[in-house]
Amino acid sequence: MSVATPPVPEVNPLREGLDQERVPDASCLVIFGAGGDLTHRKLLPALYSLAHDGLLPAGQTIIGFARPDFTDEAFRADVRDACDKYARTRPVDEAIWENFAKGLFYVRGEFGEPAAYNRLKQKLEECDRSRGTGGRRLYYLAVPPAFFPVISDFLGAEGMVTDPEKGGPYTRVIIEKPFGRDLASAKELNRVAVTTFRERQVFRIDHYLGKETVQNLLVLRFANGIFEPFWNRQYIDHVQLTVAESIGVEKRGGYFDTAGITRDIVQNHMLQLVSLIAMEPPVAFEADAIRDEKVKVIRALRALPVDRQDEFVVRGQYSDGSVLGEKAAAYRKEVNVPADSRTETFVAIKAFVDNWRWADVPFYIRAGKRLPKRVTDISIHFRPAPNPLFRRVPGVRVTPNVLAIRIQPDEGISLKFDSKVPGPTVRSAPVTMEFRYATSFGAEPPEAYERLLLETMLGDSTLFARRDEVEAAWAWLDPLLAAWGTSGEPAPYPAGTWGPPEADLLIERDGRRWRRP
Amino acid sequence: MEKTVTELMPPEDLRVDIGAIERSLSEIWRVQKTEGDDEAITRAALWNVVAHTANSNDQADATSTLCQAAASVPQRTIVIQANPAAPPDLASWIGANCHLVGGNKQVCSEEIAIVAGGDRVHRVPPLVHALLIPDMPVAVWWLGDLPHENEEYVHALLGPADRLIVDSSHFDNPADLALVTKVAEQTITAPADLNWSRLEEWRMAAASIFDPREMRARLKMIQRVRIVATVSQDEPLFGENIGALYFAAWLAVQSGHQVDREGRVEGEHGGIEYRFDRRLHTRGGGVAFVEISFDDGSCANITRDRAKGVLVSNVDGVERTPEAVTRSLTNRPHELIVRQLKQPEADKLLVKVLPIATRMAKKAAR
Repeated sequence: MSVATPPVPEVNPLREGLDQERVPDASCLVIFGAGGDLTHRKLLPALYSLAHDGLLPAGQTIIGFARPDFTDEAFRADVRDACDKYARTRPVDEAIWENFAKGLFYVRGEFGEPAAYNRLKQKLEECDRSRGTGGRRLYYLAVPPAFFPVISDFLGAEGMVTDPEKGGPYTRVIIEKPFGRDLASAKELNRVAVTTFRERQVFRIDHYLGKETVQNLLVLRFANGIFEPFWNRQYIDHVQLTVAESIGVEKRGGYFDTAGITRDIVQNHMLQLVSLIAMEPPVAFEADAIRDEKVKVIRALRALPVDRQDEFVVRGQYSDGSVLGEKAAAYRKEVNVPADSRTETFVAIKAFVDNWRWADVPFYIRAGKRLPKRVTDISIHFRPAPNPLFRRVPGVRVTPNVLAIRIQPDEGISLKFDSKVPGPTVRSAPVTMEFRYATSFGAEPPEAYERLLLETMLGDSTLFARRDEVEAAWAWLDPLLAAWGTSGEPAPYPAGTWGPPEADLLIERDGRRWRRP
Repeated sequence: MEKTVTELMPPEDLRVDIGAIERSLSEIWRVQKTEGDDEAITRAALWNVVAHTANSNDQADATSTLCQAAASVPQRTIVIQANPAAPPDLASWIGANCHLVGGNKQVCSEEIAIVAGGDRVHRVPPLVHALLIPDMPVAVWWLGDLPHENEEYVHALLGPADRLIVDSSHFDNPADLALVTKVAEQTITAPADLNWSRLEEWRMAAASIFDPREMRARLKMIQRVRIVATVSQDEPLFGENIGALYFAAWLAVQSGHQVDREGRVEGEHGGIEYRFDRRLHTRGGGVAFVEISFDDGSCANITRDRAKGVLVSNVDGVERTPEAVTRSLTNRPHELIVRQLKQPEADKLLVKVLPIATRMAKKAAR
């Protein structure tokens, strides 16, 4: 019997009520730089875990593109090794792996070799026929930014990029940080991107945005009625953000020395956190509505006065010390780091968001390597109670309330407040009310890359940085970085401490102290 | 994340006076705080979970299942053993389940056991209501068959309940399913069924068939559905058919098929045959095979590959896609309970499916 073709439902109605209500259409994901560390440790294990959890469509295809002379089989063995070592969903499930491995292919080539793109194109067309990928393409550039123009030019020239304005199957490109090393280079990268792709085809990954606790910032602020009325200069004294790493530069000495912690962490991760903490409620829970509000925060950051930078910024560099009981060598003794390097491994900044909500509320942000432990922590310090009632009561010390948001590890939220110590006399002590993800939800959250890869396949750019966000962040930091390039030295701090003494002074001058995260 | 179940105070459950349960629980924590390192212990609860059982075996099962579930969803657990045929009695015990969560942090949940016999059984619902932690949702897990012949008692216990959890594979009568449907339709208590949760892997596998855009269009072209249910005996308990009925009802509802009161199914292009077959298996109540035929002669099926621990979905015909593999889910009781408790809202899909499954049961019985 022949019948007219019925209309296709936009979503699969059988997905309703399942953990994942949206499963993307099968596509070909090409990873440029398939032999790199990021691919091995993060991307491939994340893709396998998505398959394990039933979140990848049948037919999803992954093509590794790199220099080494691999076969498909050798690539699969390499992927298997990566999954065995790093997948969240270890041990690898043989049946899931068997099916996942059927969608793994490899194309050997140099990034600047025209014939390689020809081979890639043929492989993609072959996969469209055999695996139902329908011409949908995702290009993941897990390569240094210098290769981006080359790859993007070849993809465009070989006709491997579709124009979303003309309909048809999608093409998306995923870029890893750094998105430039200053405003000019970021603008140049963005210019190159939009010669081949449209802005909405470009997904700039900041893996912090894939973290559950970072996403929870929006829920905490805008799904609860009790916080937002106090979320302003009238009730908040100041905000602190700490991104601390206990490790040094490891094998990344060469790259890190050209970047420094400000470019590596502050320009992207920390300013994303600042914008999520400080943004106004978006008009809708949609990518551009959220990113519109985030970029307004970055644009409202008060320019850092370069001529008085000591009042607002401290940079440091770790010297010999010990971290977690292990001896740690000075930064200048790390592999591929010049012995006279002036690159900062620590930075503390006092920033202000000059808008109606946050006028004159300092945001103290600090990031560093070789600090005592790995922790990312945001704390909102409320103004103290006016205090006349207890001023003359010995034993009562009114302390400000602190709402602390732990991004990693041991994710959770705590609220500190004063309470009477039980007994016949009136004494007070601060107590903490805690929410921990592990206690309340038990399940291990997915890795940030899993979430971000899935969002890319689904075409949702909410969790990705937009061009104007990136450029605004560079615009704020550029004068400072330029000044550092020509003068001054970072202050030394022993590895395993919370940075140089000048960092403490930065906040203590204002009558405040760093929270011990 | 490391998680270890540990024994904490009291070492054995402590018999306490009915009127002093709450005070005795507070005393446990006060003593612990005085004696121990209070920083290391967190008393936590996200749910009140009331397990209703009719015998000591079910009571032991419920206690052990909820102890494990509390590691993922901290809860105040109240396990009731109520047997009207037993001698009149009403007794209670208290205890605590503690779990190590990362490092040395202990998270503890409280547990209360109530045993009631004879006419004292009717004192159980008000007692349970008094023991619920305020402002925390309440789930009532009813083990075994629902006493549809004693609806008043069921409704009394369900009064404050947000969720009723049953396992319909133990139902012996269509009236039990009707009672769950009635609870869904007439009360604020949302039903949840472990038997329905076990179907999740089958639903995922079926959904994976229709993920590709080309296949999604074919949902309206379904002509025949054949479902093979596993049964443990030639004359199976009614509950052993419910898994297959749920699957059929779900597919019909989500595909836009109309099911009349007699269980006949109509699609956009005419009648659709839903056929139920049975296969003997050591564990009844599940689904063993699904075949979906389309009006162009093509066909999709889902089989379980037990050796590999997966469900495999295949499409054969006009449209061909690589086979999809869905990992079999572990369906241990505490995991099913945890899945229910982690759902913040009522399972709207089950509410849609229940009445349709009841209608289809009529047709399947003929």
